[in-house]
Amino acid sequence: MWYPDWALRRPDAPQDEPAQAVGEGNRIVAVNAAAATAGVVVGMRRREAEAICPTVTTLQADPGAEAVAFEPVVQGVEGLIPRVELSAPGLLLVPVTGAMRFYGDEAALLDRVAKELDSITGDGYRIGLAAGPFAAQRAAELANAEQPVFRVADDAGFLQTLDISAVGKEELAATFRWLGITTLGELAALPREAMVSRFGNEGIAAHRMARGEDRVTHARNVPPDLDVEERFSPPLDNLEQAAFVGRSLAHRLLGDPALRGAIPHRVTVEVEAADGKVRTRTWRNADPFDELTLAERVRWQLRAWLDESQLRSGPGIRGGVVRIRLAPADISDQGRQLALHEDAQTAAEAHRTLIQTQALVGPDQVLQARPQGGRDPGERMQWHRWGEEPAGEARDVASPWPGSVPAPIPALTPSKPPVLEVDWDEGIPVRIRLGSRWVEVVSWAGPWRKVGRWWEGEPAADRYQLVTSAGAFLCEVREGRTYMTGVYD
Amino acid sequence: MARAEAAAELLLSPSVVPTAEVLALVPGRVVGLEGPPGLGLTRLGLSMLATVAGRGPVAYVDVRGWLCPPAAWELGIDPGRLIVVRCDDPVTWGRVVTGLLEGMQAVYAEVPARMKDAQLRKLAAMTRSRRTPLVLRPVQGSLPSGVAHLRLAGKEIEWEGAGAGFGRLAARRLVMEATGKVMRGMARTIEVEDDGTHAVRVVSGLGAAPAGRTAG
Repeated sequence: MWYPDWALRRPDAPQDEPAQAVGEGNRIVAVNAAAATAGVVVGMRRREAEAICPTVTTLQADPGAEAVAFEPVVQGVEGLIPRVELSAPGLLLVPVTGAMRFYGDEAALLDRVAKELDSITGDGYRIGLAAGPFAAQRAAELANAEQPVFRVADDAGFLQTLDISAVGKEELAATFRWLGITTLGELAALPREAMVSRFGNEGIAAHRMARGEDRVTHARNVPPDLDVEERFSPPLDNLEQAAFVGRSLAHRLLGDPALRGAIPHRVTVEVEAADGKVRTRTWRNADPFDELTLAERVRWQLRAWLDESQLRSGPGIRGGVVRIRLAPADISDQGRQLALHEDAQTAAEAHRTLIQTQALVGPDQVLQARPQGGRDPGERMQWHRWGEEPAGEARDVASPWPGSVPAPIPALTPSKPPVLEVDWDEGIPVRIRLGSRWVEVVSWAGPWRKVGRWWEGEPAADRYQLVTSAGAFLCEVREGRTYMTGVYD
Repeated sequence: MARAEAAAELLLSPSVVPTAEVLALVPGRVVGLEGPPGLGLTRLGLSMLATVAGRGPVAYVDVRGWLCPPAAWELGIDPGRLIVVRCDDPVTWGRVVTGLLEGMQAVYAEVPARMKDAQLRKLAAMTRSRRTPLVLRPVQGSLPSGVAHLRLAGKEIEWEGAGAGFGRLAARRLVMEATGKVMRGMARTIEVEDDGTHAVRVVSGLGAAPAGRTAG
């Protein structure tokens, strides 16, 4: 079951005008009917979509909030059919064979589900019926408002006709296209040995999907001792604390040597509330879970349950969380492989150390940066929390950036540049004040002019490199004042 | 000629350590960088981190929140290998640095003001037992004696490239005084050159004449 516009079912999304939601890598993850009519489709790049439909309103997807809003739908469906698996907010996978026998037939089951969904969300859902989850998702994509249910009689036959882009990985699809393979049928016809030798694990996964064998065929029963669990006294009632534990549990689960490099496709999150009520939810991923993906899913789920109490939309977690357990399932051998130069022990130690550091100073204080374009040294990086992907797209480093300050880059750039007292003599810096003493300027370079965004009221600024006997400094003069924006330390 | 002979004589002396060896990060060794901002000591510390960043992640404990990572990338540290931890609380700081010593290849830590000497000495002992190199840079003042195996105190800085409103900063020459156990009781003057785009180079590889014996 799929809601193509789930990310847009929020109060700030326009109803009648074109709107789209963007997720990781500025890819479109949801469009409304007006945007879809204009030609915007899910998976498109933001720029491409805005070129096709310049009036489209773009919103940033918030999977956490979407998971909270999706929880009533999951509960509603779970009330009819057990063993519901969540793939993403707005996308549910449900095994229906048993339920069809229980309700009589397929039509009766669909009728019950449709009524349930109508009562919770109204229309807008799409249902794809197929033997495997990959085919079912593709079928749901082909359903529309008039025919919200799309049935697939033969998975392999249905998938044969689909375009190669359905494998979901852009680069891989481009390579296949370059090799002359344009449909999943052509891909499925290739021998698996050839796929293994040429494309490795990614190739096998694509080949399995193309043949409709994406359910892990060599699923093993997981011994119960692989479950990881943490108990709390006093109970946790804060999302950040609970999510932090969820993250360390994900680390423990995937780092367990008993898995021997194998990795789960399905993980059940089980949480016990202080009142004794136990809640469980199963999350599934097409690719094997890595630590970040799993920690993210656990966080979304915890947020959904914890927010229920505040929103009064469900039982929530009364009295706080006393136990969190993660139980893996569908273990496959498509596990992680460290690069040859990486030492598994070093990586594991570093990871553990940084998780402990996050616990000490908070996740916002353990940071990494990635390069991006900018005129000032402080603009040439994008900070993000360690272990998380940066939010938003980085500015292009290769762009010209006229007026940028030349190398070397000052090692220190104050986040709030202090005012620097400079003695000017007809536009020439003579001396600067460092603490309580005045220091003579030995030499200076610049100015490099930065023209601000005047339409946003940003003033223009001149940047200077000032050299003194005590060191060199990068200064910015704007609106008659001089600020120290960098220290060449 | 006389200078070359003096240098050769100095090198042959058993009490003199080659400068490049002095500036290398060694497991369990604490390096102290002392001097006001502007002398180029941060860049020197980052270039030390760059030598071990190829083996795994390195950490920078940022007390003021001023570090500009592009300067570290310029010196060859991979963006994915540089972890910046912001912590200005003297109580938490010790625990953070001790923790980082467990899993990082090397740690560069700015030392907040008001740190107790005993805490720094304890940290030095931990560094020895963890066998991880640690670079300490006090934000104010200097380190208590006996903490750092090698103390590098910035003395002079000379910039080239900028004129009276023309050119741009191009190269710098930093003069430091090296003392500590690594120097085997000697105080030496070390000069390094940095052209802003490559790793810091030691100019006075043969070392200047000993400046005298240190007290501790």
